[in-house]
Amino acid sequence: MRNVMLFIPLLGVLLFAWLYSAQSLNAIPTAIVDLDHSRGSREFADKLTGAEKLNITAYPSTYQELQEAIAGGRIVVGVVIPENFGQDVALGRQTRVLMIIDGSNMVYATNASAALLEVTRTVSAEAGIRTLVGSGMQLDQAREAYQPITFREEAWFNPTMNYAYFLVLSLILNIWQQCCTLASAMNVIGETGMKSWLQIKASGVSMTRLFISKSMTHIITFMLMVLPLYFLAFRVLKLPLQCNFGVLMFFTLLFVIAIHSVGTLMSSAVSNAVDASRLGMMIALPSFVLSGYTWPIDAMPPLLQSLVWIFPQTWFFQGLNYLTFKNPGGDFMLPFYAGLIVTAVVCYAISIMLQMWREKLQ
Amino acid sequence: MGVQEISPILEAIDLHKFFGKKKVLDGVSLNVYPGECLGIFGLRATGKTTLLHMLVGLDRPSAGLVKIMGLDIRKGDRYKALVGLVTQEKSLFQDLTVAENLDFIASLKGAPQGNITSLIDKFYLQDYLQMAVNSVDAGVFQRLALACALLNAPQLLILDEPVKDIDLYSQHLIMRIIQEFLSQGGACIYGFSNMESSKNMHRVGWLDNGRITVYEPAEALQIWDSLIHSYNNIDGEKDE
Repeated sequence: MRNVMLFIPLLGVLLFAWLYSAQSLNAIPTAIVDLDHSRGSREFADKLTGAEKLNITAYPSTYQELQEAIAGGRIVVGVVIPENFGQDVALGRQTRVLMIIDGSNMVYATNASAALLEVTRTVSAEAGIRTLVGSGMQLDQAREAYQPITFREEAWFNPTMNYAYFLVLSLILNIWQQCCTLASAMNVIGETGMKSWLQIKASGVSMTRLFISKSMTHIITFMLMVLPLYFLAFRVLKLPLQCNFGVLMFFTLLFVIAIHSVGTLMSSAVSNAVDASRLGMMIALPSFVLSGYTWPIDAMPPLLQSLVWIFPQTWFFQGLNYLTFKNPGGDFMLPFYAGLIVTAVVCYAISIMLQMWREKLQ
Repeated sequence: MGVQEISPILEAIDLHKFFGKKKVLDGVSLNVYPGECLGIFGLRATGKTTLLHMLVGLDRPSAGLVKIMGLDIRKGDRYKALVGLVTQEKSLFQDLTVAENLDFIASLKGAPQGNITSLIDKFYLQDYLQMAVNSVDAGVFQRLALACALLNAPQLLILDEPVKDIDLYSQHLIMRIIQEFLSQGGACIYGFSNMESSKNMHRVGWLDNGRITVYEPAEALQIWDSLIHSYNNIDGEKDE
């Protein structure tokens, strides 16, 4: 364990360096809906394609498809080029491009907004200058801004781009999940590592009954702990909650079971309670940072993008974001439920195997 | 002899225990009968606690067999309902009060709640019920430990140094209750390291180098005295 204590902090530093290695958000998933299909609209789309921070990954043919792509988290930015765009620009008439940003992830939203602003200013200025030069004005004069294209920006799911909507709930729940993880890490070793374990062992109580009783107590306590937090978040602070409260509680319950299973696994793997709490600390904080809530998973190094899904925190905080901001429906949330259930099954199964192995060694 | 004509409450056959390559027990066999208190005498690190833990199923022997009331302890936990344990280590729940320990251990053992009240009276624990276990003195702790061991009305008590370093009143009370338990047909295996305690035993199993030799208490005391005497002589010769 001493070696672990030495290497885990070093590993943590490397992990964070790796996580934030991109330093800025590039390749923000963007979709363009071209309702005009003209030469002018294609040129405009090309300009967007060349933008440094945008990655055009989809060309939905309808507004409806764009909505679905954003709600499903596949796209963060949507640009809708209106009908007659090319003609209006050519004739120097004003036209309006709609830019939609997924406001549910503020890290993405603010970066996407800045990236779009950069492109739109350039495009707008170029269009204006071209129009003026075409009408006989000197180039220098024309450069004085005239913008025939106006851009309307809409932040969906978080229209006021309120940072608190995005961050407060996750920070509250992060503290809560860390407490739960640490408490769960005592599930097995908290008993077997104590002298009172002799009393339990001598009493003849079934180990299955003991495990279920203790785990149920943990899980119920964790759920009771989250209730005032949700009350504070959704009633007092009025944070957005798009889904049904029952659905949120069900999802939270699955998460609680999953982190309890991870804690139980840690608890089964170590030889004393101190090591269990150390291990709990080592996992609780980084798992939140890696959950993609503070730094988008798509912006992480490719290998890390896959690894982060090992942690139930990733399933929970990603799913929580969808439920509270978008309420995308049961089918969409199914992988998130499944991710948490699979985590629980795997971790509990390994814990049981570890315990059986230890019993055999005794 | 009459005692031994009936079936033993506990029967241990050829117990061996290794910790790594170190041999702790080397073919220990013993029986204990109803109404009998078998003392297990051993000095520090002679495997006394290991043996007692093995008899109650807390540790597994490397080889050998233990039967309690005919039940092979390797095959299920049913025998645990017949056993009460007082450990040498302070194994009660340190975070709980005296009353909570009684209540919780009764729940663990599936013992009737009515037993709690009578044991509180028997061990004079009324004044300590709301006190945290880690704050009561050693004598009260041991009284509580034995009360907890008796919650399930066992047939066999396994006691590891139950009266070591405690006040005289608690010693007296504990020994009186053990005698009462034996007189009602229970059996007891009593680990100790002070030979003076042997007077409370019916037989004494002397554990040394992983092997056990069973003596009558007087005989064990005599051997112990002659050992002390011989060491004193050696010291005297050296002094001369």
